[in-house]
Amino acid sequence: MTDVFAHALRRRAARLAVNALIGLFALLPILWGFLSSLKPTDKIVEFPPRLLPENPTLEHYARIFADNAAYFIANSIAVSAASVLLTLALGALAGYAIARFRFPGRDTLMVSTVAVMSIPIASLLVPTFTLLSATGLADTRLGLVLLYSAYQLPVVVWMLYGYFLSLPVEVENAARVDGCSPTRTLFKVVLPLSKPGLVAAGLFVLVFAWNDFVVAVTMTSSESARTFPVAIYFYLGFYGREWGPLLAASIVSIVPIVAIFVFLQRHFVSGLTGGGVKG
Amino acid sequence: METRRAEFWVPYRLIAPAVALEAGLVIGPLLVGFWYSLHNVRFFQIRSFVGWDNYMRVVTSPEVLGSLAATAIFAFFSLILTFALGFALALWLERDGRSATLMRAIVLVPYMIAMLVGSMLLKWLFSQEAGLSQLALGPLGMGDVSILANPKSAMAALVFNAMWRDAAFAMIMLLAGLKSIPPSLHLAARVDGADAWMRFRRITLPLLRIPILITVVRLLIHFVNILTFPLILTGGGPGNSTEVVVLRMFRLGFQDHILGPANALAILVFLANLALVAMLLLLFRRAGRL
Repeated sequence: MTDVFAHALRRRAARLAVNALIGLFALLPILWGFLSSLKPTDKIVEFPPRLLPENPTLEHYARIFADNAAYFIANSIAVSAASVLLTLALGALAGYAIARFRFPGRDTLMVSTVAVMSIPIASLLVPTFTLLSATGLADTRLGLVLLYSAYQLPVVVWMLYGYFLSLPVEVENAARVDGCSPTRTLFKVVLPLSKPGLVAAGLFVLVFAWNDFVVAVTMTSSESARTFPVAIYFYLGFYGREWGPLLAASIVSIVPIVAIFVFLQRHFVSGLTGGGVKG
Repeated sequence: METRRAEFWVPYRLIAPAVALEAGLVIGPLLVGFWYSLHNVRFFQIRSFVGWDNYMRVVTSPEVLGSLAATAIFAFFSLILTFALGFALALWLERDGRSATLMRAIVLVPYMIAMLVGSMLLKWLFSQEAGLSQLALGPLGMGDVSILANPKSAMAALVFNAMWRDAAFAMIMLLAGLKSIPPSLHLAARVDGADAWMRFRRITLPLLRIPILITVVRLLIHFVNILTFPLILTGGGPGNSTEVVVLRMFRLGFQDHILGPANALAILVFLANLALVAMLLLLFRRAGRL
């Protein structure tokens, strides 16, 4: 009897140890960056390194905000919010068409959706910049909003299509019989029922737009259109080997993502497998 | 009759804005890029038509060939290690319960944060100034080695970056596949006396074949097109040892502003991607989603 007990205990301890190892692997770089960001400049590169800061300070955080961080954060928020709204609007229309209508070209449209979803943005950067410079959209926030929406639209169409399919079609038929046009039915009946789907899809766009660095750094050059990740990149050149402000800026950029993730994780994972895996 | 004809156009009107946006900002750039790639371009001005010259220049340039080798090495090792770790995590965290849910969330954190920020934090972790690498390698007599200053260890750091961030993606994709295996199969095999390894080989692996392939192809597409990891973590260095092909393209286009060859390289990268995406679509079709 005690043997069984000891065995169970050992198993439990082993499981705990493996979990601790996984947690360390995932979080150590972030934790170490955070702890370092709280150390005064001369203590950051101290050897041997001390894990916990002796005299924690927020001086690096104050420094990045003195260097215009708030403006770049506001840019990021504006661009992200606009991208979410635009993508959801266009995605709802297209997703509804695929979910509720049979029309010539529908299959082609669905295959192209997955194809466009899978094209990596990196291979589009140089041509896109070439096009944007020719049309005057380079180095504008509007340009970023349009690009983010274009890149996330296929995933959003796919997610909303799946969500609309799961809704009972009877309610819509009733609305149609009462004389609602298809578009009106979508806005008055379907969308109010689709809040969880819209939240999941919107979060997906939000995190993409907030985190994007590659598109923003290539398509913008002036400070007026600069988003926060690009600002962090420029801090890398600007502060050089001064790690304090760099790490502080990195942590500031992580906080909203982690907050969203903690509160809304449920909504999130459904999107990752978008364009999906299981039957 | 009147209404039916009106109905016919409704779906097309609904998809029109989305199709217009995709055509304008995904297909459009490719056409423009292709046009530029056939010309001699100076300071964003098209000078003269040069046909395939830019392509010839690109495919014979030693830098580009070197970057292809770096991409192959990076993608190969990242793919194997990231997939293996993701699969292990998926199997380990598959069961229900609070601790597994919490651990899944923790593993996802590196994937959720900006790639730029993740690579920046790893750059600090690996940097000589942080002192951590010195502390870890010191006892091995390599205390004054900087991980990012040696071509081999810089590449290893890059692969670590890939594993650290993207194992979570593989995990989520494979977890979705694992969930679709009916538990009764495992139960029945258990009753018949099959051990864990046997059940993995005979039930999990065969039923997971398509999700595994889709995960591998999606990871491969991601790694072949990697830009942020090397741009931030190693800067393509030391020398050009970690300058992958997309980083080379990025530098041609956005630092050297040689738009002709840069677009030619971009079109070539795009075509390579097209082949991978075609593979992915075939897999999706087999998975029965389309």
